Amino acid sequence: MAGQFCDRFRMVTTDEELVAKSMAGDAESFNQLVIRWERPIYALAYRVLGRDEDARDVAQETFLRAFRALPGFKGQAKFSSWLYRIALNLCRDWIRRKKRTPVVDMPEGVDISELAVDSGPVESIEDLVSRQEMSRIVAQGMTRLPEEQRTAIVLKEYHGLTFQEIADLQGCPLSTVKTRLYQGLSVLRKHLESHGMTSLYNGRPS
Amino acid sequence: MNETVHIDNETLVAYLYDEVDREERGRVEQHLQQCGTCGGQFAALADVRTALATWTPPGVDLGFTMVQPSASPAVAAVPAAAPWWNTVPVWAQAMAAILVLAVSAGVANIQVRSSADGFDVTTGWMSPVAPTVAASADATGADDWKVALTALESNLRNELRLSRNAAPVAPVAARSTNDEAILRRVQELLTASEGRQQRELALRLTQHQRDLDIQRRADLVRLEQGFGQFEGRTVAEQARQRQMLNYVIRASGKPQQ
Repeated sequence: MAGQFCDRFRMVTTDEELVAKSMAGDAESFNQLVIRWERPIYALAYRVLGRDEDARDVAQETFLRAFRALPGFKGQAKFSSWLYRIALNLCRDWIRRKKRTPVVDMPEGVDISELAVDSGPVESIEDLVSRQEMSRIVAQGMTRLPEEQRTAIVLKEYHGLTFQEIADLQGCPLSTVKTRLYQGLSVLRKHLESHGMTSLYNGRPS
Repeated sequence: MNETVHIDNETLVAYLYDEVDREERGRVEQHLQQCGTCGGQFAALADVRTALATWTPPGVDLGFTMVQPSASPAVAAVPAAAPWWNTVPVWAQAMAAILVLAVSAGVANIQVRSSADGFDVTTGWMSPVAPTVAASADATGADDWKVALTALESNLRNELRLSRNAAPVAPVAARSTNDEAILRRVQELLTASEGRQQRELALRLTQHQRDLDIQRRADLVRLEQGFGQFEGRTVAEQARQRQMLNYVIRASGKPQQ
């Protein structure tokens, strides 16, 4: 009973509480933060960079830098925003250093099972294959976007950040974020249409 | 109202992501129902969002863990309060150490005496061992050593006076008997010492001879092995050369056949 209560209590421990404990020297609390945020940070880096290995490296480096910079974290922003900022800076450096646009190395094998879990029991194999193909074309289309548009879409679409949070992270006005989103989505729309994908989603002709 | 005024792109995106207030949402919804252009554009963007939802990163196992070496400081580099002794300069610490040593030596009453057997260290406030020269002293108390010195001095003066005043023969005779005994003793010691030295020398010579013999045998074995390898190599080289020669002969003989 007490253990269950403790577990439940631990589950609702906020990031800020874990940060405070980490700053007081509790390494286990920082590991809790890592467990909580490693997947989102990896996903962010993966979608921005397009490579699994690069995303792993960036995610690892993000937590390492956060660990080192923790004493300087004053709590003026959310811990997650702070992590996102570190990760995005690393992604930007990564792209600049490698001087290359992201490529897609995702598809084989991984997505079918994941998509099956996400899509529910009623989806047929054909639908799964269609979704996998769709996923591949989306990833390909994302690589064609400028880095700012791609990042804005990733932060909004997959991480649910507000326009203001994205503006703070990208260091631009709110209206610029909306413009980037609109332009990025428009480019993706054309990319999807060029691959004949208009009839695969929503069944609605474009 | 006026259908030619379309929804601007920023508002459309804000509506797409549901980041508009209630009033604006109502206005946009109303316009979308009336304007086919904006409605179609909104539907297309919504479809792109649906397509984006299919893109998932690989389900890799990350398992990052911050491993902290035990010797390193705590996670947050919050400076811990320095121990009070770290605030004292080194020279002051050294002086304090010397002072403590001196005081403890005084309390322990450490006494160091040198004798024929080496250094003799005693501690504590036990009664001091009576010095050998104090055997003749019958005085007690703190002036024991002064009395003993005085007694020793008087004894020495008496002996000197006696030696000067006594007849020369008797002392010589007495000395001669003493000297003979001493000489005999010294000769015995010398003889014993020489015998011991000779034995040690013989032992050492034997050891050296054995060492030399072992080394010589080892060198011989190594030389034999070296020669053996050389011979083996030579034989192998000869065999190889012979094979090569046979091959050359065969090769050169073929065209003639």
